[in-house]
Amino acid sequence: MSSTEQLSPENPIYGPFFGVMGAASAIIFSALGAAYGTAKSGTGIAAMSVMRPELIMKSIIPVVMAGIIAIYGLVVAVLIAGQLDTPVTYTLYKGFIHLGAGLSVGFSGLAAGFAIGIVGDAGVRGTAQQPRLFVGMILILIFAEVLGLYGLIVAIYLYTK
Amino acid sequence: MNTKSKKGNGGGGDAGHNKLSKQQSDDSKDYSALKVVLFYCSLIVFLPVVTFFALKGYVLERFFTMSEIKVNIGSAVGAVIALHIALGLYVYRAYFGGSKTQSKQD
Repeated sequence: MSSTEQLSPENPIYGPFFGVMGAASAIIFSALGAAYGTAKSGTGIAAMSVMRPELIMKSIIPVVMAGIIAIYGLVVAVLIAGQLDTPVTYTLYKGFIHLGAGLSVGFSGLAAGFAIGIVGDAGVRGTAQQPRLFVGMILILIFAEVLGLYGLIVAIYLYTK
Repeated sequence: MNTKSKKGNGGGGDAGHNKLSKQQSDDSKDYSALKVVLFYCSLIVFLPVVTFFALKGYVLERFFTMSEIKVNIGSAVGAVIALHIALGLYVYRAYFGGSKTQSKQD
C-alpha cells in the first residue's frame, strides 16, 4: 500500500535525497569559504600584529565577517532540515527547490569567503602602515559580504516556493 | 672599570624596570581588548541563534494562523538582521573605540 504511494512519480523514494544534499551543501560550502577567509586573513593579522599589536581589535573584523558567512549557511541548512520528511509527504519538487536553495547559499558563501580572505589579508597588512586604509578595507569587506547575503536572499526566496 | 660596570648595571636595571612596567600596562591593555573582542564575538555568534529560536517559538505561540514556512522565514530574516546589528556595533566600537584609546595613549 505505502510502497505504491512511494513509487508515484511525485513522491519517489529518492525525493528527500535532494533536500538532504541541499542542507548539507549549504553548510559545507559556506563553512569552506568561511574557513578560507579566516585562515587567509588570520595569516595577515599574525604578520601585522608583530609590529602593531594595538591594531588587533580593528584587524579582527575580516575574521568576524568570514564567520558570518558560515552563519548564513547555518540558517539555510536549519530551515531546509526543518522541512525534511519521509518520501510519502516530501515531493520531488520540494527536494529540487531545497537543493537549489542550499547550492545558491553554499557557493555564494564560498565566493564571498574567498573574497574576504584575500581582501582581509592585504587590507590588514596595509592598515598597519597606513591607518586611513581602514575605512576602505571595511567598505570592500562589506561588498564581499553582501555577495553571501545575495545568496541567502535567493535561497530564502527559493525556500518559500 | 668597576664604576663603569656599576653604571652599566644600574642603567640596565632601570631599563628592565621600565620594560617590566610597560609590559604590565600592555598586559592590562591586552586583557581589556580581549574582553571587548570576546564579548562582541560571542554576541555575533549567539545573538542570531537565540533570535532565530526565540522568534520561532514566540511567533508560533502568538500567531497560530501563520503557516510554518512563514514563521521560519520570519525568524530567519530576524536572525540575519540581528546578526548585522551586532556586526555594525562591533565595527563602530573597533573604529571609534580604537582611535579613542590611541589618542589617550598619546
